[in-house]
Amino acid sequence: MPSLPAKVPGATPDPAEGAARKRMRARGDLRKLGVAISMVALTTGLGFVVYHYLGLADVMMLYMLCITVAALQFGRWPSLTASVLSILALDYCFIEPRYSFVLTDMQHIGTFAVMLGVGWVILGLVERIRTQTRLALEQERHTRTLYRLGKVLAEGGSVAAIRLRVEAYLSQELEVPLAVLLCDGKGRLDDAETGLPPEVLRTAQAALDTGVPAGHGTETLPQSGCLMLPLPGTERPQGVLALLSAMPPDRLGLLVPMAAQIALAMERSSLARERTEARIRAEHEQLRSNLLSSISHDLRTPLGTITGATTTLLDPGPQAAPGDQKVLLNTIHQESRRLLRMVNNLLDITKLESGLVKVKKEWTAVEEVVGSAISHLEEQLGSRPVSVELPEIWIPMDPVLVEQALQNLLDNAIKFSPPGTAIEVRGWVEDKQFLISVADQGPGIPVGEEELIFEKLYRGTGGAAAPGAGLGLAICRGISQAHGGTILAQTRPQGGARITMALPLDGVEGMPPDLNPDFTP
Amino acid sequence: MTPDPLVLVIEDDANLRQYLNTTLRSHGFRVEEATTWEEGKKLTLQLGPDVLLLDLGLPDGDGLSLARELRAVSRVPIIVVSARGREEDKVLALDMGADDYITKPFGSGELLARIRVALRHSADPSAPPPSVVEVAGLRMDFLMREVTMNQKPVRLTKNEFDLLAVLIRHAGQVLTNGQLLQEVWGDSSRAHATYVRVYMRSLRKKLEADPTRPRLLLTELGIGYRLKPDK
Repeated sequence: MPSLPAKVPGATPDPAEGAARKRMRARGDLRKLGVAISMVALTTGLGFVVYHYLGLADVMMLYMLCITVAALQFGRWPSLTASVLSILALDYCFIEPRYSFVLTDMQHIGTFAVMLGVGWVILGLVERIRTQTRLALEQERHTRTLYRLGKVLAEGGSVAAIRLRVEAYLSQELEVPLAVLLCDGKGRLDDAETGLPPEVLRTAQAALDTGVPAGHGTETLPQSGCLMLPLPGTERPQGVLALLSAMPPDRLGLLVPMAAQIALAMERSSLARERTEARIRAEHEQLRSNLLSSISHDLRTPLGTITGATTTLLDPGPQAAPGDQKVLLNTIHQESRRLLRMVNNLLDITKLESGLVKVKKEWTAVEEVVGSAISHLEEQLGSRPVSVELPEIWIPMDPVLVEQALQNLLDNAIKFSPPGTAIEVRGWVEDKQFLISVADQGPGIPVGEEELIFEKLYRGTGGAAAPGAGLGLAICRGISQAHGGTILAQTRPQGGARITMALPLDGVEGMPPDLNPDFTP
Repeated sequence: MTPDPLVLVIEDDANLRQYLNTTLRSHGFRVEEATTWEEGKKLTLQLGPDVLLLDLGLPDGDGLSLARELRAVSRVPIIVVSARGREEDKVLALDMGADDYITKPFGSGELLARIRVALRHSADPSAPPPSVVEVAGLRMDFLMREVTMNQKPVRLTKNEFDLLAVLIRHAGQVLTNGQLLQEVWGDSSRAHATYVRVYMRSLRKKLEADPTRPRLLLTELGIGYRLKPDK
């Protein structure tokens, strides 16, 4: 589960930090005030020169210039201070009676009002422009942030992956510690995983319950030091975007659409997952019901034969001829063996699919494995020639499992080729793999079915009505894969099918036994 | 005249017991039946059977532990009956003192062969081992340390000879890798676990016409080896 940044204690805003920022701003204002006052002083000095050479009207214009510059440059309070100081300086230094604040000519009051007014108007204009610029910049930043977030979300993946990416991107972009908290289907936060303090989780739950932002700068729990934005899905809330320190209230305008975007992406991802799961479940169900119907048919057929034959033999009425009795007993024997093979295959495929099979690789003499498989099928092979060609090396494999696979391959070769034709077993090493193939002289594999035949319950369309539940090759594939290997079916150029298992030459510690330095022949 | 050998069948399934009983009696054995762990132990001590057929899956206890307990008090040959795919259990049972195993389902031919081999090996444990043994064309002279196959001399290394000697003395019986290591090398440490396979390969090359279809040195995959006895 994603862990929160170590800065979680910063969830409540640091008061010292805020005070420092305020101090900084105050110092900036003070400096501007100083400059504004100096400008008035400078103007006054210059005013004496202008007054001497040009006259009062031009001195007034000079002060106008000063006020205008101050309004343009220094913000509200410094420029207002400059305006007032300018008027006072003008009155005291240049307007008769000079060096007193007494006003004799009432027309100057109008002049002062105009001066103040001009300063005020310019200030207003400048402030409006500043606000608009800031808004435009903000807007651009919003758009950029949303665009980048969109790109982050477009990568898709699981809800957990989206969550991790969002957390990484946003904590960098917004420069605050944050977390995406998920909720369950009932709208409860999954609080166990986050390790957040309880009051933070309370705020988050409040946001989730009300569907509107909660915490600092909102109407719900405003005393909280954090800000919680619900992630509203179209069907149900997905969770909460938790900003663990206070944000300027104007960022809400950016955060709300971001939260909506995140929620949509998460909802899309979880819906996609649900769809996939539902599809897999349905396929599984289908497969299971196919397996069941196929198995019950395949098990019942030999059982029917056995039951029939035994009732005939047990019939107290007219006895079958001794020759016929022998035939019936043979049938019972063969059908029992068929049943046994089927039951074994069913158990094997079940074990393979449920992952109960543990591959125990050891240095193996392949001829032992092949020999064992052949001896198990002695009865079915009858007088069929089996040619075997194996390298005399040690191969890492689980001999018991590979023998099972070979039994199935041999069984298939017997079933799918005319009686009496030869079967070839060949083993060789190629590309760090041990390959072992079983080939027959039957009709080969129908074009296009080279992959399908390894599917469970696939019986092929090649015309040959094959007995069995279609599990043998699925088992072979399962065993190959459990070894980290592959399996391949081909029709040989000279005709007949060849199935090749490729097993990687790894998985066993140490050297092959007879290369072991301790070994004494 | 010695009485017919007594087989004690410890098996909980009534039909399987019925089949074993009928088959064995028709082949000249006396048969007693036990259905549980406790009864099996009691009857073994009471009747002193010549062979035990012990199902590993008993309802009231682990067949493995019964094999171990019985081995501690009796030398009776134990043939373990077990299902396919339980190779570890079989190896455990054999290493614990069972003499052989047979996998369900089995035919009567296989069953009788196992019982006969077990009886032969338990016949007279005090008799000195014969100095010459012949099995299926293979003749082994322990005193001269000479081996011939179909009258042709075969040259074996010391380890090959020792391994073959163990197998032929237990002809027809399965021997686990661990047992073979113990008998030939005197230790069954894992360091030598694969040695048996190496020597089996070289023995087969010297004694078998087609190592993939051995007539003499049979592999019991996942368990061990068996030297095929005469009929």
